[in-house]
Amino acid sequence: MFHHVPRVRLGLSIVAALGLLFVAGCGSSKSSSSTSSSSAPAASSSTTSSTASSASASSGTSSCGPKPGTAATGTPITLGAINTKEPGTDFTDIENMEGAYFACVNANGGVNGHPISLTKLTEATQPAQIAADASKLTQTDHVDGVSGSSSILECTINHSYWEKNHYYVIAAGIAPECYSTPNYADVNMGPRYSSDGAEQYVLTLHPSKIVFDQSNVPGTGYIAAGPAALAANAHVPITQLTENVPINDADSVALKEVDDAGPNGAVVLNFTPPEALVILQAAQKLGLENRVKAWACSTPCNTDFLATSLGSKWDGKFFVNAELADPDATNTPTMNLYRAILKQYGSDVSGGIGAFSEMGFTMGEIAQHALESITGPYTTASVNAAFKAIKNYNTGMLCQLWTFGDYPLHIANNEDYTVTPDNGKMVLKQGCTLISAVDPQIAQYRAAAGTAPLAPGQPSGS
Amino acid sequence: MLITSGILGLPSWQDFQPFLVTGLSLGGVYALSGVGMVVLYRATGVLNLAFGAVGAMGALIAWSLINHSGWNEWLAYAVCVLFGGVLTLVYGMVFGPALAKRDPLVKATATLGLTLILLGVMDLLWTSSGGASRSITLPTDNNTFMVSGIQVELTNVIAIALGLVIAVATSAFLRYTKLGTAMRAMANDREITATLGVPVRRVEAAAWFGCGLLSGIAGVLLADLVALDATTLTFLVISSLAATLIAQLRSISITFVAALVVGTVDALITPINSITNYRDLTPFVLAAAALLVLNRKRVISISREGI
Repeated sequence: MFHHVPRVRLGLSIVAALGLLFVAGCGSSKSSSSTSSSSAPAASSSTTSSTASSASASSGTSSCGPKPGTAATGTPITLGAINTKEPGTDFTDIENMEGAYFACVNANGGVNGHPISLTKLTEATQPAQIAADASKLTQTDHVDGVSGSSSILECTINHSYWEKNHYYVIAAGIAPECYSTPNYADVNMGPRYSSDGAEQYVLTLHPSKIVFDQSNVPGTGYIAAGPAALAANAHVPITQLTENVPINDADSVALKEVDDAGPNGAVVLNFTPPEALVILQAAQKLGLENRVKAWACSTPCNTDFLATSLGSKWDGKFFVNAELADPDATNTPTMNLYRAILKQYGSDVSGGIGAFSEMGFTMGEIAQHALESITGPYTTASVNAAFKAIKNYNTGMLCQLWTFGDYPLHIANNEDYTVTPDNGKMVLKQGCTLISAVDPQIAQYRAAAGTAPLAPGQPSGS
Repeated sequence: MLITSGILGLPSWQDFQPFLVTGLSLGGVYALSGVGMVVLYRATGVLNLAFGAVGAMGALIAWSLINHSGWNEWLAYAVCVLFGGVLTLVYGMVFGPALAKRDPLVKATATLGLTLILLGVMDLLWTSSGGASRSITLPTDNNTFMVSGIQVELTNVIAIALGLVIAVATSAFLRYTKLGTAMRAMANDREITATLGVPVRRVEAAAWFGCGLLSGIAGVLLADLVALDATTLTFLVISSLAATLIAQLRSISITFVAALVVGTVDALITPINSITNYRDLTPFVLAAAALLVLNRKRVISISREGI
């Protein structure tokens, strides 16, 4: 009988069990996360995209390959990617979009007649699983190169493995090691430099104080160092806050940010879209949007969904750093190809048009460009040498020409746009602007690699 | 007070006031949830850890009906509440009899199984891939007034009022109605109650259904007040659970007060920089402290009996 068991013992057991479950839940949810054990299945899954898509080429997508309408039939060039997939955090749109890009290439002549085969692995932020994924790619699947990875921990866990095995990885990075180690180069700039960009813009509005708030996850110190350096250089006091995610008291979070910033201050956020949305909606509900001079956010906030959800009260008040060209406002051949490939080959890209699929597309075109430069056989050595040799490639998606290069660190994307909501859409507020070299990491990278030229056709912010 | 504030670096009372308002509205929904859990526990001996997940799924269904099927908002919210009631009832009717004689911890763990299944289904059906995010905005959000310098929505008031109304109504129901009396009898001894001719299964069904309806209501309110996110809503049950444990899974009124305290303390800690990052521990600390104090009293009582 249940009432014969002491309620106190039951209560203590429940508190302990739920505490563990809560920790596991937090670890397996939202945004950047720790290595905590997760209730998600540990097994990684893998799929391989078709090496010779049966889909017929259409006029919209035929420009992705050298022979429109002719499927590539040569020996496949094998590439691999590792993406985080767990409850609440799913980056697989990135590798799926790269797979869609390669499907288009394969249906239109391939690379020198060879189709590209992409092995797509997933992981659930478990270090052992992530390390095993790298071994699987190299030793079981024998991939020639790695392109399309985007993972919370993959760079941290595997960077030394790639260095030891001479793989040069094209990725969309998150962890510090994606930017600070020699064998990764990313199409995005990641949370630190994107936060720099967001803060850099609001500093032009001369706020009396900055409040920088981000998810309380491993790596916050590394991210916070950039905005701190920019604020110090501008002689503007900064308060650094962190929030446990998922946020369950957004009203209090928004209130604290506004209280700390003061009426002439600015609030800069670095959260995933769902978390940023709850904070901004809470601020709106409490009537706080005009209680500070400006609000800003790193790249994840650059979604039309967020602009629509927030409404017109935030127009001209909220500024978001954007790492890739705006799909709505850009009508270039590259952007049209992106949209066409997404439509024809991107059935498994669940998020549709957006930053994730743009990153996958961009990595696909960079990898294709590198592979086309190889004249001999496609081997691990030749593919990785080609990846490393990429220099000043115009992606059509990024502000700058993109370079991998042989450097001790890589921040290949370090010039960004700023967008702001306007009638339910994010619109361009400021054209391409270099992230300030006041951030010591940016300074170190530019000292090694120089400043990449502005890509042709990109709007200059200066 | 001023001296204390100065020494500890505490914000002023004026700074605390807005946090008090936000904390009370969350506390109101925690109270509503807590009452539902206590009633179910008293009738069936089951601590329903799936309360949050059921509400979350109901809220996501409502969101889909509004945004994808063009349903009327109120009708969609009604479906959410009904979904909570029906799913919880079905679970109770299918698994309740088999678990009736098991240890309470086993019964609670079984509902944890339902929680994990629902979390998986929600992740599958309402994926967060591509940074997808969703929100529910109740029509009552548009009615606002100012308190302590912040805008308060009618939804916040409804949250507190509904928590109070549900607590009072449930207390009255348990005390004055035949079904409520049967539930209280079952809380004392299920088998003797059955022997006396009380339709135990029907009483349990009513408790499961009522608990489910409350989970649906809490799901909609929390989706508006906090976030429409499966993980967030599922684990918000912890704050309500803390309140029920402080009330020793017995008292409706203590559950109500404890829930308000949990919500308010959590919010009031936010502006205190030195401890703000630990505020998520509030329900755990309050529940553990209350249980340890209650446990201490029990030990003393037993020792006296021994003497």
